[in-house]
Amino acid sequence: MNASEREPSRDELEAMAYADGELEGAERAAFESRMAERSDLVREVARHQRLHVLARHAAPPEPMDHEWRRLARDPFQRGLLLVGWLLGVGGALLLAGWGLHGLFTSDLPLFPKLALGAVGVGTLALGLAVLRGRLLTRPYDPYTEIQR
Amino acid sequence: MILVTTNEVPGREIETVFGLVRGNTVRARHVGRDILAGFKNIVGGEIDDYTKLLAESREQSLDRMVAEAQARGADAIVGLRFATSEIASGASEFLAYGTAVKLVPLG
Repeated sequence: MNASEREPSRDELEAMAYADGELEGAERAAFESRMAERSDLVREVARHQRLHVLARHAAPPEPMDHEWRRLARDPFQRGLLLVGWLLGVGGALLLAGWGLHGLFTSDLPLFPKLALGAVGVGTLALGLAVLRGRLLTRPYDPYTEIQR
Repeated sequence: MILVTTNEVPGREIETVFGLVRGNTVRARHVGRDILAGFKNIVGGEIDDYTKLLAESREQSLDRMVAEAQARGADAIVGLRFATSEIASGASEFLAYGTAVKLVPLG
């Protein structure tokens, strides 16, 4: 018996019922309080929601989709994108570093240097916090596989 | 859950009206996709990154609207409508709304 043939556990059945909107009242509240403590239940509900969302789109792929997929595998196209991103992002980082170096080796007094440094570090911390939030919650977002 | 854009469902009549239900979301693609979409905007054709963005928003707002209708005990939403707007550059708001009702067979 492989994993797909085994009987679903009680948690899996409840997650399925919750995703289908079949749990009501006390049952629903109890499951939601368990979800608040267990990320595996949230992940299971998100998995069922993802299947529901994808099942609504039974339309076959369009002819152009095959060409887009072929293009995504094409070494020349991949190389162009890689070179583009490497040069673009690398150049931006070099420019930022050059700007920072120029700022901190300039004749500006210490206070504005520290203030600008604080703004830079603060912005970076905010960006990292948002990125971390997105990366951690993305597995629970059932809409990311929708194409059109 | 029956979802229709019409005000009635053939073969059924409305027993109870629960009122307006709606679901909305604001989603964005990451900045890398925005940059590539900007280039596609120059050369023309479908900007599939934004097609995907709006499709994600449409399905999420639809699900939120249905969840609200289910919570009210409705089994259908009539007069379903969609509305969209741009909140910020590259981020779209999608709103789905309709009237939640309980249906019974005609006769």
